[in-house]
Amino acid sequence: MAAFGGWTMPLAYPQGTLAEHRACRSGVALFDVSHLGTVRVTGTGALALLQDALTNDLRRIGPGQAQYTHLLDPADGSVVDDLLVWWVAPERFDVMPNASNTAQVRRAVGGTDVTSERAVLAVQGPQARSCLASVFPEAGAVGRFAVRELDWQGTTCVVAGTGYTGEDGVEMAVPEAAAPALWDALVGAGAVPAGLGARDTLRLEAGLPLHGHELGPGITPLQAGLGWVVGWDKPDFRGRAALEGERARGPRRLLRGVELEGRRPPRAGSAVLSDGTVVGTVTSGNFSPTLERGIGLCFVPPDLEVGASVEIDLRGTRLPGRLVRLPFVSRRRKVEAGR
Amino acid sequence: MDTPDDLRYSSDHEWVRVEGGTARMGITDYAQDALGDVVFVQLPSAGAAVTAGSSISEVESTKSVSEVYAPVTGTVVEVNDELADQPQHLNEDPYGDGWICVIELADRGEVDRLLDAEGYRKLVDD
Repeated sequence: MAAFGGWTMPLAYPQGTLAEHRACRSGVALFDVSHLGTVRVTGTGALALLQDALTNDLRRIGPGQAQYTHLLDPADGSVVDDLLVWWVAPERFDVMPNASNTAQVRRAVGGTDVTSERAVLAVQGPQARSCLASVFPEAGAVGRFAVRELDWQGTTCVVAGTGYTGEDGVEMAVPEAAAPALWDALVGAGAVPAGLGARDTLRLEAGLPLHGHELGPGITPLQAGLGWVVGWDKPDFRGRAALEGERARGPRRLLRGVELEGRRPPRAGSAVLSDGTVVGTVTSGNFSPTLERGIGLCFVPPDLEVGASVEIDLRGTRLPGRLVRLPFVSRRRKVEAGR
Repeated sequence: MDTPDDLRYSSDHEWVRVEGGTARMGITDYAQDALGDVVFVQLPSAGAAVTAGSSISEVESTKSVSEVYAPVTGTVVEVNDELADQPQHLNEDPYGDGWICVIELADRGEVDRLLDAEGYRKLVDD
């Protein structure tokens, strides 16, 4: 068990991180992600409030859909939190921040913190829907980025076609009292319980940012390669002015993937070298169970392009690698690798 | 935790099996369990002179990196090259296929100063 953002969470279940990772890539894994916050924003003014506070444009979606978005620091456009908005009903939004940022997000968007009332279970993997079919078939039918309020054995759950693994699947907000029964039913149907360790290697292979590593103070959405999260067509949003400045100048650094030749994992904080000179820093690194080599995310100057040879300085040892396009592993690439 | 009676142990969680004038070594079941899934082992070089208590290897798992210390003083005479591609041997068989190297003992008496199985069990139970 490990302390994480005020919660105590399992790093791994008895099968271990690698087995849990592979279960999610080839079968179905089950995560307890109750540490994500839920801030409920309701009422006639809710849409306008969120449009002002968050970067993405909710007019791109509608009720019954989910959207990934950022909350920025107006001072410099850096990312205070990255979050999902579940647009549950026309005047009800369930905003899902990272565990440790829930209070800050609530200060920005108001609403009610209902985190303690519900658990959040994520069912992820190519067999997520067939696993759900026998336990909670309506949830298994919720499409990608759709949001539905559904009944499971007499309790109302909110189910969204979202996740953090690069695989198909859903995330389900379940009233706390019903969560253990649903968990047990899913495990009974073949879902492999997976901990924080696998969640991290899965999201890393999928090239998804983790707040505190690829996003956070001093890091803007443009540097992280997430310009699509910014709704430039909106009249205004928190942090817009600062971000416009960077957009005009061009970001001074960009997030890239680095794939190493060997198995040794790069780690957060390792220096990135190009032609013997330090040009950047690794923000997350680990072993990729799918590629069976070390992979990492790093910030480097924008002129260092995909394909460039680099070295990672791991506590004095130089590890050769190259910059690659993200994600490291996509559903399509995985199929090709398996041929 | 598995702690075989016929081995000796360091307080840094390495085991030693005396084989004549040499000692085969690896990390204990307790150590591999604490590390989690091992994905890379930086092996010592054959021929290297090592001193008891000095770092001879690094083991990387999905969650962290850990140093491995020489439990005895001597010369590395054999290295388990299989670990380069099969680092999971450290998890699956820490006292067998997961051995790291064989050290020619500079002083055979040094092994007697290591913990026996009972002493090591006490150490990890506390």
